[in-house]
Parts: sequence; C-alpha cells; structure tokens
Amino acid sequence: MGVAGCLGGGDGGDGGDGGDGAIQMSMDGEWADAQEPVVEALYEAGLSEDIDVEFLPGDFETGARQTDFTSALDAGRSSPDIFMMDSGWTIPFIVREQLVNLSEELSSDTLDFVQSDYLEAAVSTASHPESGDLYGLPVFPDYPVMHYRKDLVEDAGYDTSDWSTEPMTWTEFAEVAADVLEQNDDIEYGFTTQGADYEGTACCTFNEMMTSMGGAYFGDHENLFGPVGDRPITVDEEPLYETIRMMRSFMYGPDEENANPDIPQISNSDLVEFTEEPSREPFTGGNAAFMRNWPYAININLDEGFTAGEDYDVMPMPYGVEEGEGNYEGTGGTSHALGGWHLTVNPNSQRLDDAIAVLEAFANEDVMLTVFEELGNLPPVSSVTQEATEDQVGDLANFLDTFAVAADNTVPRPVTTAWPDESPLISGEVSDAYRGEKSPEDAMADLEEELASIENEGQ
Amino acid sequence: MTTKQDTDTRLLMRPLNWLETQSEATFAYILLAPAFLLLAVIAFYPLIRTFSFSLLADQTAAPTPFGEFIGLDNYIALLTGEALLPQQFLDPSFATPLLQQALFVTLAFAILSVLFETLIGFGQAIVLDQDFYGRRWVRVAIIIPYAIPIVIQAMIFYLMFNPTVGFAAEFMQGIGVFGNNPLTNATDSFIIVLVADIWKTSAFMALLILAGLQSIDRGLYDVARVSGASPWQQFKYITLPLIAPALLVAMLFRTMDAMRIYGLIDATAGCQTVPSMSCLVITALQNTRRWATASAVAFLTAVVIGVLVLLYLITLRDTEAGVT
Repeated sequence: MGVAGCLGGGDGGDGGDGGDGAIQMSMDGEWADAQEPVVEALYEAGLSEDIDVEFLPGDFETGARQTDFTSALDAGRSSPDIFMMDSGWTIPFIVREQLVNLSEELSSDTLDFVQSDYLEAAVSTASHPESGDLYGLPVFPDYPVMHYRKDLVEDAGYDTSDWSTEPMTWTEFAEVAADVLEQNDDIEYGFTTQGADYEGTACCTFNEMMTSMGGAYFGDHENLFGPVGDRPITVDEEPLYETIRMMRSFMYGPDEENANPDIPQISNSDLVEFTEEPSREPFTGGNAAFMRNWPYAININLDEGFTAGEDYDVMPMPYGVEEGEGNYEGTGGTSHALGGWHLTVNPNSQRLDDAIAVLEAFANEDVMLTVFEELGNLPPVSSVTQEATEDQVGDLANFLDTFAVAADNTVPRPVTTAWPDESPLISGEVSDAYRGEKSPEDAMADLEEELASIENEGQ
Repeated sequence: MTTKQDTDTRLLMRPLNWLETQSEATFAYILLAPAFLLLAVIAFYPLIRTFSFSLLADQTAAPTPFGEFIGLDNYIALLTGEALLPQQFLDPSFATPLLQQALFVTLAFAILSVLFETLIGFGQAIVLDQDFYGRRWVRVAIIIPYAIPIVIQAMIFYLMFNPTVGFAAEFMQGIGVFGNNPLTNATDSFIIVLVADIWKTSAFMALLILAGLQSIDRGLYDVARVSGASPWQQFKYITLPLIAPALLVAMLFRTMDAMRIYGLIDATAGCQTVPSMSCLVITALQNTRRWATASAVAFLTAVVIGVLVLLYLITLRDTEAGVT
C-alpha cells in the first residue's frame, strides 16, 4: 500500500498530494486501536487507496484535547490534517475562522446527506451560528446511558423487563442502587458517575441531572446557543440546589449537611474526582452496580467478560420531574447530555483535497456501522442506528431501544464563544458545592454573578 | 612607501589602540557588549513583547486573539480580582479564598518550600561533609529524588492520593490531617505539592551547600578549637559567614524555580485546585484563549520574580562585602 501511494504521488502537478505519508487524523486511543477496520471501511466506501490514513491517539480527556488543538491552530501547524473535535467546543473554532468551510469543499451530495439525514442537534454544533455554513462533519453523536449489572439487580429481586425504555425517577433509582449495594458486600459502589472539576461535569453530568430536575443554565432551551449577553441566567434556582443535594446524598448519605434527607447513600466521595475512565474502571472490574457513562464503555465492558442482556444491560437516565413540568421549556424528564464529535479540517493542511476525500468517505452508512461495531460509537444518522442488525453491529444490537429513547431526550450543552470561559466556572462552583465547601445556594449565587460578568463582557 | 597590508594593519590597530586608552571599566563594558546584546535579544525582547501584548484587549471570538489597545485595564482587572478567569491572580476584597489566589499561592509555596529545602538541605550537607565509611552511597541516596523526572515524581504523589488505588489519602484522613478527596481540596493539595517539591529538591540545596562547606579551609576550625570555640561558635563565626554567598545563590535559584512552579501541580492536583501564577498563564492562554490576559499574568509573574531576585542580589552584595 505504501509503495502504491508513493508511486501515485509522483504523477500530476499537485505535487505530493496522495503520496507523502498518511493523512493524519487526531482521534483518540480507542480509534487508534480500531484504525485498520475503519480505514478498510473508508476504502470500501470509495476513498482512493492511494490515500493512507493514520489515526493519532489524542488525549482522551476533552479539555486536554481542546487545549492541544487550540495551540495547533493558533500556531498555524499543518499537522494533523483532520481534527476530531468535541461538539462542545467546535463552535468557538468556527467563529474564529480557524477551520475549513466544508460547505465550500464537500460535494453537494454529501452536503445534502448531512443536512437532511444527520441528527439536527449534532449538525447545529458543527455549523457557523450566523451563516449556517457547515465546518464539521459529525462523526458520532454521544449520549450517555445508565449501565447496570443486570445479574445483581435481578438477584436483589427487581424486574428489569421494561427498564431499557422506561426511565425511573432518581429517588426510585437511588433506592434500587442502595438495596443492591446492601445485598452485595463485595461491591464498593452502588453508582459511579463523573463529578470532577472538569468540562464533563459542566457540559454533561450536572447539565443533564439538573435538566431532569427542571432546571436550566440559561432559561428556555432556545437560549442554549445564544445570544450571549441577551439571555437570562437561571442557575441560582431550586432545581440546581436539588441536584447538588441529591449528589451529596449519593456521596455522603442523607444525614449530611445540604444533602437530600430522602435519598440514600449509594456511592462515596470518590465521585468528585471521577472523570470518564476512573468511573468506568470500578464498574468494568465488577466493583459497581450502576454507572453513568457514554456508549464507548459498552464495548469495553463486553470485551472484559460481561454478557449483554445477562449480567449487563443499559437503561435511560433517571429523571427528577416529569417532562414539561420543569421551570423552562425543554426541561424535565429523562435527559441525556448530547455530546459527540465532529471531524474538522485544518486549513493549514498541505493536502486539503485528500483530507476532504477522507471526510466524504466518512459520510457513508457502512462506515458508520463499522465505527458503531468496532468502537461502540453511535451513527450520526438515527435511521442507521435503528435499522442496524446483529449481523452488522454484533452485541450492540441489544441496546438499540435504549439508544432510541436517549436520542429522543437529549440536552445539548450551551456552546457559544463564551462557553470556554463559562464551563470552568460552572464545574468549579458545582465541585465546591458537591464537596460541601459552599452551600448549594451560595455556590449557585456566586456562579450566577460570575456567569453574568462573562455574558456582559464587551456589552 | 606603504603596502596595502600595512594600511590594513594600521586600520585594525586604530580601534585597538583607542580601546587601550580607555579606562578599565569602559574596556570591560565594551567586551561585555556582545553578551548584553544577546541577552537583550533572547531575554528582554520577549519580555517587552509580552508587555505590549498585555496592553491589548482579549478577543475570544475572532481569528486573531488580540483586540484594541486598552492600556493597563488587564492589570487593573488582575490586581482587583475582576479578571475573567476561573481563578484570580489577586483579590484584595478577599472574596476569593487565599489559596485560590495565584499570587498568594505562589508566594506561600516559594517561601515555605525554599525555607524547608534550605533547612533540610543544610542538614544533609553537614552530614555529607563528615568523613565516614560509605559516604559515597549516602550521597547517591540523597541525590536520587532529584534525578527523578518531575512528571514521574508528580505521578507518584498523584497515585498515592488517588481515590481508587492510593493508600495515602485514607491514612492521612485516619490521622485527621486531610479531609475527603485531598486532591480536590485547595489546602490539602497545596500541602501535597509542597511536600512533593521539598522531597525532590532538598537534594539540590544539599549539593550546593556541600560545595560551599568543602571550600572552607579546615585549618580555620583547628585554630578555633585551639582558641576554645564551642561547636556553635565555630558554626556561627566560621561556617555560616563563609558559606553565606553559596547559600544565598542556592536559595536564589530555588526561589526562582519555586515561583515558576507548574509541572508538579499540573500532574498532581491540577491548576484549578492549586492555581500558581504559571498555572494562570496556561489556563488563560489555552483553556479560555485570553492571550492578552495571559500576557499580563506572565508579565506580572516576571515582575514579582524580578523583585525577589533584586532582594537577593542586594543581600548577596552585602554578604560579599562582609566576607571580603
């Protein structure tokens, strides 16, 4: 392959294109491991075999990756050619005109496919907020599910037959988790999630929990993408305090100060240090009953010996108040933070045409299914997810009904140019409140003040 | 008749002759000029450039990160606790806890770490200065922590206090020193970073102090003993004054290093928990992409370090005057 590539690059006047090394894509470790089957699928989808593609293992933690990409683009580096960017921070790069405008580069067929069939919420976080031009190709959307040990739960006497599509309340969930924990002395955690002072708490875990309680960062969900400075800030409100009190009960027990007295302890204070991987490891190691995590964890759990539908299953996230009963439009009911990743092209790339060709190949249903099967990353087109068969995606077919519920109940993170400033303030104050350094009321009042100063900057 | 070569030689001799007529001081300055020029290019130019960036506004939503000229506004925001950063540089209203203010965190870290490293390093140096069997091996043992890369050393401390695999957090909670999750608590994390730094860098102080100790003429102690001086008097009147210049230089190096602390924090508790001045530069630059604010923090960091270095140099000048 390498030889063919070199020979191919020799001809033609656009020197080097097609031959000089591989198109470098900064992805993550999981992708780097699955490079071979995914790249093979790209070739089958029509990508010229003269173009070598290499997946670089970027940092798994989203904040660290954002930092790396900011430096690479600010410095005008030509490598990597393609970035896999979190939907939570692609827009700032778009607004700064640091990415290639795909509306001008992709074929009209691909653009039509993206605009008509891709998840709308995903496409909106890959487009310019004003012009609507596409700057990122959604490669997979991400919404979390609640992973659980089906064997332990059923042994504890619970019927899980409708759990895969019927969300329960947080109170019911906590009681089940506490019961399972009590009946199993050998496990340490009833529940693990991510509560560290990092982007994931601000964008996702806290966001979805407080949304399910009826709260919001910026009022009605139509304000999520702006306008910055001209939208209400609604963090200093009861649903957010309730979320913090519930998490404090989970970690420290119902009798702790600023905890919810009706919710039992189902975990411990390790949650305030957990990001994705530290929260997954105890679960995969058989030391936790429930875990909130992204679908990538499913394949790892299955690879490590769990069997889908027997000792392991997933369900939608629990909720606080019924859908529509929240304080703001879009809140209440089971809520799943909409994460996800986009492929964007480095404008300093020496091989723009090849990079665009790689993106064209990614917009293909078979490639999406390969990615789903190999990595557990959901297709960006819902019909592809729903129509997937066991032949195509293996054991993941067991979980498609839960993914469908989660996909219908997502809460996007409020990505604007102000979000990089706002997110560390949110995670900082929430972390202080989780750890009891501040009362929920004080932390959220401080947060409201801090967010106001960011929102009003330059007004 | 003069040849061309003679003319050339004369042309060359003229400035050399002129040089020789100058005073010693002028002659020295002229010889030092190339070094100053180099220093100006590699040290002062970046500093001045950083300062000029710091007078511009941040632009978080534009391709270029710098906006219009706003004078000292970035400095005013930083020094009044109004900066749009996740952590503050200085908050005179004290609404921000002391250990969340970068200036205070860094100064406290520098003072405490240098103090303990000097005391421990001094102790180690005095032990190493004695003649005893196996001295070479003890030296190696003392130096080993200094040979460990910062990130590895930080990982050791991180893993010790990690909630799932660490053993130290539980132990420290047991004896009532730390609370839950020391790596997320500002005070506990500060202590962890401080101890990690002292553990590593005392060896550096020991080595420099040892060099000072070994340069002392042993005959002086013989004279002192004959004159009936107690060990304390020998230390106070011989050891201390003679190693003072070496000690101060070692402390100067350590202080400068401590004021720039970043890597150890980043790999243990993280900059959000222990925000040093360098941490704040990185946070502003990369996480929030506020380049102008980052430049202002960087310049203030340089100023603070510069002031401390000046204090040392003034003390050092007096010491040298006292010795010679």
